Parts: sequence; C-alpha cells; structure tokens
Amino acid sequence: MAQDLPFRLGCDIGGTFTDFVLLNQETGRFEVHKTLTTPHDPSEAVEEGVVALDKTNDGFLEKTENVIHGTTLVINAIIERKGAPTAIIATKGFRDSLEMRREIRYDIYDIGAVFPTPLVERPFRREVPERLYNDGRIRQPLDEKIAAEVLDDLSAEGIESIAVCLLHAYANPAHEQALAAIAADRHPNLAVSLSSDVMPEIKEFERTSTTAVNAYVKPLLARYIKRLEERLAGRGFERGLFIMLSGGGIIAPETARQFPVRMIESGPVGGAIAAAQLGRRAGLRDVVMFDMGGTTAKSCLIRDGVMPISTEYEVDRVHRFKKGSGSPVGVPTVDIIEIGAGGGSMASIDALGLLQVGPLSAGADPGPICYGQGGTQPTVTDADLILGYLDPTYFLGGKMDLNLNETKMGITREIGEPLGFSVMQAAWGIHEVVNENMAAAIRMYVTEMGGNLKNATVIAIGGAGPVHADSFARKLGVKSLIMPRGAGVYSALGFLVAPVSYEVSRTSIISLANTDTNSLRDRFSELEDAARPVIEAAAPGADIIFNRVADICYLGQGSAVRVSMPDNLDPQTIAADFYDEYRHRYGASYDDLDVQIVTLRVTATADQEQGTISLPFSTTDHDASAALKGERMAFAPDLREMVPHKVYAMDRLPAGTNLTGPAIIEEESSTLVIARGGRAEVDPRGWIHVMLGDPNEGEI
Amino acid sequence: MTRPTKQFDPITFQVLWSRAISIADEMATTLVKTAFSTVVRDNHDYAVAVYDAEGDMIAQANQSTPGQLFCMQRVMRDILDQYPAKTLSPGDVIIANDPWLGSGHTPDIFIATPTFRDEELVGFGVTCAHHTDIGGRMAAPDAREVYEEGIIIPISKLYDKGVPNDLLFRLIERNVRVPERILGDLRAQMAANHFGGQRIIALLEETELERLSDLTTPIVAQTEKSMREAIAKLPDGVYESDLELEREDAEGNRLIIKLRLEVRGDEIFVDYAGTSPQVDLPINSVLNMTIAYTVFSIKCALHPHIPNNKGTSLPIHVSAPEGSILHPHFPAACMFRSSLIFNVVQIIFDALSNVVPEKVMAPSGTFPLWIERFGGKYDDGTPYVCGFNGQGGQGARFDKDGVTTTVFPANVSSTSVELLEVEAPLLCDRKELIVDSGGPGRQRGGIAQEVVLRNLAKKPAVASLSGGRFHIAAPGMHGGGTGKHGAIRIGDDDPIPQPKQVLMPCETTITFTYPGGGGYGDAMERDPARVAEDVRLGLVSQEKARDAYGVALDNDGKAVDEAETARLRTRQTERN
Repeated sequence: MAQDLPFRLGCDIGGTFTDFVLLNQETGRFEVHKTLTTPHDPSEAVEEGVVALDKTNDGFLEKTENVIHGTTLVINAIIERKGAPTAIIATKGFRDSLEMRREIRYDIYDIGAVFPTPLVERPFRREVPERLYNDGRIRQPLDEKIAAEVLDDLSAEGIESIAVCLLHAYANPAHEQALAAIAADRHPNLAVSLSSDVMPEIKEFERTSTTAVNAYVKPLLARYIKRLEERLAGRGFERGLFIMLSGGGIIAPETARQFPVRMIESGPVGGAIAAAQLGRRAGLRDVVMFDMGGTTAKSCLIRDGVMPISTEYEVDRVHRFKKGSGSPVGVPTVDIIEIGAGGGSMASIDALGLLQVGPLSAGADPGPICYGQGGTQPTVTDADLILGYLDPTYFLGGKMDLNLNETKMGITREIGEPLGFSVMQAAWGIHEVVNENMAAAIRMYVTEMGGNLKNATVIAIGGAGPVHADSFARKLGVKSLIMPRGAGVYSALGFLVAPVSYEVSRTSIISLANTDTNSLRDRFSELEDAARPVIEAAAPGADIIFNRVADICYLGQGSAVRVSMPDNLDPQTIAADFYDEYRHRYGASYDDLDVQIVTLRVTATADQEQGTISLPFSTTDHDASAALKGERMAFAPDLREMVPHKVYAMDRLPAGTNLTGPAIIEEESSTLVIARGGRAEVDPRGWIHVMLGDPNEGEI
Repeated sequence: MTRPTKQFDPITFQVLWSRAISIADEMATTLVKTAFSTVVRDNHDYAVAVYDAEGDMIAQANQSTPGQLFCMQRVMRDILDQYPAKTLSPGDVIIANDPWLGSGHTPDIFIATPTFRDEELVGFGVTCAHHTDIGGRMAAPDAREVYEEGIIIPISKLYDKGVPNDLLFRLIERNVRVPERILGDLRAQMAANHFGGQRIIALLEETELERLSDLTTPIVAQTEKSMREAIAKLPDGVYESDLELEREDAEGNRLIIKLRLEVRGDEIFVDYAGTSPQVDLPINSVLNMTIAYTVFSIKCALHPHIPNNKGTSLPIHVSAPEGSILHPHFPAACMFRSSLIFNVVQIIFDALSNVVPEKVMAPSGTFPLWIERFGGKYDDGTPYVCGFNGQGGQGARFDKDGVTTTVFPANVSSTSVELLEVEAPLLCDRKELIVDSGGPGRQRGGIAQEVVLRNLAKKPAVASLSGGRFHIAAPGMHGGGTGKHGAIRIGDDDPIPQPKQVLMPCETTITFTYPGGGGYGDAMERDPARVAEDVRLGLVSQEKARDAYGVALDNDGKAVDEAETARLRTRQTERN
C-alpha cells in the first residue's frame, strides 16, 4: 500500500447492476455499493457509483491507490450482437472455417439443435492469396496488391474492425504483419486484430473464432475505456486504473484495448482469486472454491494456491451449460466450472417422473416463491427456507421478509404431490438434487483436470454457498470446509488483491528428443520479451517473475498436459516432470514413447506485494454465549427429520470458539449450516473451519 | 432373471443414478485425454459404460457414439459366456473385437475390466474405442471378406490376474501398422476402466447402495416406462418405406432396404424383410448395428432427452432377414458399415414423417460418413498414416434449416487443416462452402463443403477414399428438394463411381465435394426474405432463388422484387 493511499476500489459492470467494493486497507473495512448499469454508456454508472461512495467516504478518490475494473460489457456485446461491423481476412480457400466450426454435434440425440450465428457474416469474410507450410516456411508469398484492394473494399463498405486469420500464422506471423502494415498505411482508423497476436496456437477454427471475437469488440471497448478514463480523470483520479482479465491478472488499459477478448470472464474470477489467497494464507494444498449465488454455482480447484488456467473457454453458447454449443475463445481463462444451480434455480418434474433442479432460474423477478413477488415455481431458496436453513425473518440481514406459507403450498403442489412426498421430503429432495448436480459437475471437472479431492478443503462463498457446503463437500468425499467472513460478497473482494499478471503463448511443436536447453531458452525468451512491455505498462519499475510452462503430450496424443518448466530447461528433466504429472493425472506413464511439446507459455507477474483480504474482527469483545441468537428447527439429513439447531451470529463469535453441529451461523450476506457430527472452530481471522464428521460416532 | 429388488426412495434413487452416469462420463474423459488415436480423441468414436456384477449395463457415457453405445449392451453377455463371473479374478482384463459380437467392424476394440472390492466381483468398467489401424488392407473400400479387414481378436484375456498375455500383445503388435499407437490406446482404455472401477468401489463405500444390480433394475424399468409412454402417444398402425441405395451387388443391381414399422400400443415392431442379401463389399451391417441405429432413430424422434440404457430398446423389437446386408453371415466384409447403416435413420424418419412430421429430419448429406485414410512416407522415409474427415450438410427440420457441415447421425469432429498438415505431408488447397448445395425447401437443407487435398511427398500416398451420395443425392421431405450430389475427383479426372483405394502421386490433388442436405416442405412457401438473405450470404445463387424458390431479386440482387416473385410463384402453383 502506497503512502496516504489507503483505498482500493473494485468495480464490476454486470448486465443489470454495476457493483462496487471500496476497501480501506488501513482499517480492513469495506463498503459495498450497487447501482443500475447504464447500457448506453456504462462508464456513466461507474461515475455515479463513485459519486455515491464519495458521500460516505468524503474525498476517497484522492486517497485511492487503484481502481480495478471488470466488466461483462464484452460478453454482452457478443451475445446481443452489438459489436462493430467486422470482417475476416483469411488465406485464399479458407474463409468459411468460422462457419464450418468443428462439424460435430453437442447433443447426440437432439435433431433440433442449432449453433451460434457466426460473428462475421460470409460476405465480410474475404480472402488473400498467400500460403505457409506448417513449419512457417512460405509456399506462396502474400499478394500485397490484392491485400490492399481487399482492405480498400472493406473500408469502403463501412467495416471498422478486421480479424486477420491466416493458416499457420502461429508458426510465422510475417504475412499477417504485412497485412497489418498495409492496413495501417492505407486505413489508419481500421482496428486490426492478428491471429498471431491474439492466439498464436494451432487449429484454424479455434484461432479464427478467438480473433474474430477480439476484433468484434475491439472498437467498442476502446471507446468505453477512453470514456472511463476521462470520467475518472474528471473526478481527479489519474493514478492506477487496472483491467481485470479472465486469466486472473490485472493489466493496464492499453493492453485491454488491444486484446479485449482476454477480459470476457473478468467477473467470475474474483471468487477464485479470493479463494486462492485464502488457501495460501491457511496453508492449504488443495482448495475447492464453491461460490453459489442466485443463478449459478461456480467452482474451481486450486492447487498450492495457484488457479487452474484453461484455454478451452466458450462464449455465446446456445445452451449455456452445454459444452460445444458456443464459440471457442482460446485465451487464458481461470478454469471455473459454472452450472445452473443457484438459489433461484427452479425445481420441476421431468418426463421420467424425476425431480429436476435448474438450469432455469427464477432470477430476481419474479424470484423464488418466498419473495412473494409472484413466483410460483419452487426454487432452491424456497427449499432451504422450508428446511429451516434460512431464517424467514433474517434473510439478507433481515432486509427482506420471506413468505413461508406460500412457499409450502408451492412446493407441495409442484413437487410433493406428483412424487407422493411431504413438503419436507420434497424440500429435501430439491436441496439434495441440486447438491448432487453440483457434485457431479465438479467430479467431472476434477477428472478432466486430473485433480484429487482426497485432502481438499471446500471454501464456501456466495449467498447460498455456505448453506449447501456441508452436503456438497460430503458428496465429494471432502472432509473440511471454511467459511470466511464476508462470504456473500467474497468474490468481489478478490478483484482487490489480484496481481499484475499476463500470459503469452505460442504453438511450437518440438520433439523433446530433438531439442536442447539453448533452443528452448531462445523460444521462451521470445515469449518473455512479448510479455515484458505488458507488465511494465501496468507496474513500472517492478521486477518481473516469469513462470514458464509447456503443454506436453506423448507423440500422437491430442490432449496435452501443462507442465512447469525446470529452471535449467533440460529436456531430460522436462521429460521426467512430464511423466510425473502424467502419472499424477492418469495413474500411469510410459517411458518408451516419444514426448513432444505442443505449446509454450509464459506467465509474467509483477513482483509486488498484494493486498490481503483481512476484514475487521475483534477477538476479545465477546464470548460465544453472546453470539447465540437462539434455536430453530432445521432438517438433519442423516435422521431425515427436523431437529433443533443452535443459531449463532457470526460477527459476535470470538476466535477460538468451538461449536458442534447441528448448528447454524448467520451473517448478513450468507448462512452456514453445520450438520450433525460436524465440528467447527473460529480461527484468529474470523474464518470458520468445519470438520465434517460422522453423526453416529457421537461427540468427541 | 429375477432377483430381489431393493426399494430406494425417489431422491436417493435419482442421486445414485446420477452418480452412476457420472462415473461413465468421467471414464470417457479419461479415455479421451489419454488416447493416441485421433479417431478417439477428435472424432469421439468411442463408447464407455459401467456394468453391474451380473453383466447388466447400469449407465453409459453421454458423449459415446450411438452405434457402439448400443452394441456394448450385448458384448458383456458374450464375455460372461466365455468367462463366467465366478472364474474372474482381480487383475483380469478382457479384450475382443469380433465384429459379430461387438459393433460390427474390426477397428472397434472392446476392453472390459472386472472390478473387485476385497475379493468380491462388484462390477465392470467397459470401453470400446475405434483404433487407428487394425491391420489388413488398411480399410480397403473394395474388401470382399472380413479377413481383409485386419486381425480379429476373439474374446480373450489381455491380462490374467495382472499378468500380461504376452502372446496376444506380440500378435497384435506384429499385425498392425502403427503398433505404438494401438498399444497406447489399449492402455488408455485400461486406464479409463481402472478409473471406473475405483469410482464403483467409492460409490459402494460412500452410499447406502450395497450392489450395483440393486440400481440396474429400477433404472431400466423407469427408462422403459418413459419410452413406452412416448410410443403410446403415436397412433397404432403400420408404416412402410423402402429405399434404393447407390451401392450395387455383384450383378449390378442397386441394393434395397425395406422397412415395415408397426406401432402397436406402447411397442414398436420393426422388420426389414425384403432387404437385399449381403454383398461382397465392406458395407454389411451386423444385426447389433442394425438394432443400434433403429433404436437410435426412434429415440431421436420420440424421446431424445432420456438417458440411454437397455430400457430405451426394450419396447422396440427389430428383425432383419439372416444373410441380408442388415444381418450378414460371417465372413462378410463390414469395415464401412456406416455407409449402409445410416440409411436406416433415413428410412425410419421417412416412415415416421407422416405420423410425427415435426419430430423428424429430412435426409442428410452427412451420410455415408466420409472418412478418408492416407498412408505413405515422408521424403526422409518416415512412414505416416492419417485420416481426414469432413461433413456435408444436414437435412432440414420441420421448423429449421438444416445445419451447415455438421455430422449426423454419427458424432465425429472434423480434422483441423493445420493439424493434418503437421501429421502428414499433405496440403489442403481449399476448404469452403458450396453455393446451392442445400436442398431447396420451406426449410433449406444444410450447406455442404468442398475440400482439395494435395500430396507434397515425392512418394505416392495410398488413399482409401470413402464417401457417397455420388449418384443418389439426399432427397427432400414433404415436398422439399434434393441436396447437391457428392463427388470425389482425382486431379481433373471424372468422379470415381464408387469408393476405392488409389495411389496419389506427388503434387496430385483429390477434390472432395460433400453432399448437401435435403430440404423440408415446398420451396415456394419459403419466406422470400429468407431466400434473399441466403442469396446475400452466398449460400444460394440468384438463379436458384428464381428457379427453385420462385423468388426474384432487384437488380442489385439485394431486395426481393415482390411483383416478379408473386408472378413466378403463381405460375409455379398453376403448373402443379
């Protein structure tokens, strides 16, 4: 924290609300503020929020070190098709790869399936004569005369942004760069995105799709950032504006202007960043971030405090939760799984006579039945209320009264009667099925990553996360969970502690048997040179830590494993590390097969001290009995009946308190349910650690 | 077989069912991630399932390919006949690829791994994967007998109590072209099975489930009940259809598939009596595959979203004449049985099109599957084998156009041009959509593509060329027009009349023109604005808009000329 600059402001523009978190790093206090998003000019809502926060924190902007910004602007522009008039320039003969996709179905039996409309229509997908071999050698030089004509035509037709996607450009960017030079010379106002810059990796469809997304939103985002900078400057803030990336790092606005495709998932990564920090501080090896909100549940497996990064993200899905129904965006994205299982997820009976929960959500309007705003379909929140996990008089810290009778009738009508269940059984069914849906998705996700949950700890955040964490963790075979203070808004706090960090990559197909340390060092150096200016722009003067990684597989495999590179870059050491990683993931490895590197990656991170999410917490003022609010009946899963649960106020529980389940711990933004057999302890930071136990073993 | 059934409350049952399916899905993920074969990893040509200790299937992975998926249900029975459950031990691994037991062609290798909890057999993890090569004449499109199609492995133990069957390993290694990949994929299958086994044990330890078989019975019963309800909604009746194929028998007669589909209450009886006798071509479909695609088609039309297990097929009874192309005797060749069997989807949709017109699809240009195989040597002598596949256009739907260049009814992804060029000394000259390839209709058929491949190596490549709809294009449905024909040309030659294996000398090109999908409904009823939009996108030509759709455009080709369009369409109506 810089001198006299105690504040950090996080701001996240969502489709409906723009959220702010203002953290005072000196006191650890934070303030949350919401304002309606202003779609015509989203920077307006940012300014409004700053003005509103200024009322309670007079002159805070002058004392603010950083403003960290995330936005769903990019993703919404794609979904709503509100990007710039965009064209693609492809190698002659290949303009249709965006539309042909991978030619595979995402649902085997659904003959009514549809796919996303291509972001760039066929008439605006043009071609230039040129051709490279797969190793980057030139087979046919770029016809610069035709290239100039194509650019002239597109400019005359009103195109504002161009995605250049030539075959094998990852291996040699010369032709793409020549096109960019011609464009800069003749049409300096055209925004140009080169596939060799945006995603220099093999597979033409994935690279074209990613580059097209970048081009489509580039002019819009550039305009937006400019306005945002002006508005903040108008309020006297010209220091550190940072943009949150999908990969979990923050960077300077200029980089975001060049590569807006990298900020598509900037919102959801907050929870992962916060959970990763929590895991590091708690000294945990394997952490499952479990962030359950109103519409979806998100989860992420964090090993040794490092967030998993994937480059297989999809945007614009026809079916939000069906893989393959969207358009690939192959830029580094924190690998967060999201499923349609939030508090608002609706329950119904399907064609098999089975209880289904989600993925449809009742949203905020009409919302769950218990909100009393006209909702008639039971939701997860309704079930949690009936089960006694939520207090009808203390929802959102008592800011909303919940309608219990209406809820009981709704659950009975829609679920209980068709299944022949009591209202309690039906509510438990909803709770159990949504937990199983989440657990199934996480198991699959962990398998894909080759992870292991044996010694993991669940970090329960989001409004509904701590309510479901006990049962969710048990289903995964996880024995412990932690609920931090501020759990309900924890993901927003993650923004404030993100490092300045940026990943660059390039496909380099190299047989480990035919390479040496020097050659690898040269290739990594090129990547480091590419990443360095990005970090220097965001963190001038800071030392830079380069983390080298390679995607490696056995020769002939299609799926590569991320392997951290040893400092000496010795091929034999790399091979040994690959065998270890492969064995860790898949149970066996083979030393008789050739090993090949597919893609090299470098993550550059500024070596700066990060802020810490440390919320004010008094350890001396209270004893546990002062925190006891009373008792209420809630459902005990093992007994299948309602039993008395002691109810505690989280903010009055002193450090060192030990509690045993069944118990409920409430704070304004969330509620933790501890089942029978569970033992909880409040640690010096105010976090609640729960060890899940077998209720039949009795109290220890 | 009857056995005591345990009663679960509906929620517990549902949770256990969901977990069983997720075990199969996780096994599939492990298989794909560790596989060497592009056919498995990119084309998803595999199936994965979990079985109980009695050999009944409890769950299948969602992304499995439909043919193998169904056939797997039967393979386990045969395996247990060979090796009764009580003779199995921990560390056993069983292998088979006999087409008549499995999924109808030799590259599909089944691996079954019994799972033991302490000393008790508790279930099986089973995978089937399409391997890169299985020996023989490298998938020759003119094979006459199955002996030409590679090594046949009867049901055998690949491992016996953890000891590898050295003889079998060496036999396989000696008979295939790229042994390290084949063995790598067998390892991937075993890894996936092993993983499934661990998950089965965890399921039994962590839940109240005592035996997997307690779950099998209610899962199958519930699925069957739901399928029966869907069938019962159809009016009783007999629906017939026949289909002439462009492939010919030895006398030069085109092959015929005849269908009689009877809906009776909540059951469907499908009979293929009258279908042509088996042929000396590698397109015969064993009965397993015939049943698989019959059930698949009916499920797609009537009940696409329920989990697939034995319950789906119980109300559907399938018979085909012995010795026919849909039920051939050994040793019929059958490598490209997909080029025949996918027509079963077409004929069933045709039969159902008068009953549930909104639930079926016009014939697609995506079958037969076009899977091209190339083998040869780089200039430095390094050998290579690789595959290339692309897709035509799908058939139009009742309320939607056909999907552009997307596979159906199989589910395989296409080959990336950049990856192809890394894996083989081939170069793709172009890969682009074909204007006017989709059949005209109220809903237009899916657009197809054309691909040109070139051999860069000095030595000729061996190219096994498969494809179809060379002579009979995908017809339309309910008045829709046919899609464009397919064609394969070597250099500037005339199209080849039949799939075949050829030599591809240095710098020679082969052009693959994939077929378009059939249209749905009368093209004259298509909204003229949508026709104009297709013209603007370059998917339909102005001439076709006028001739097939009766839509005239203004001089600049953008807006609809309303008066002229009305005149064209009236004239067309009068003519009819």
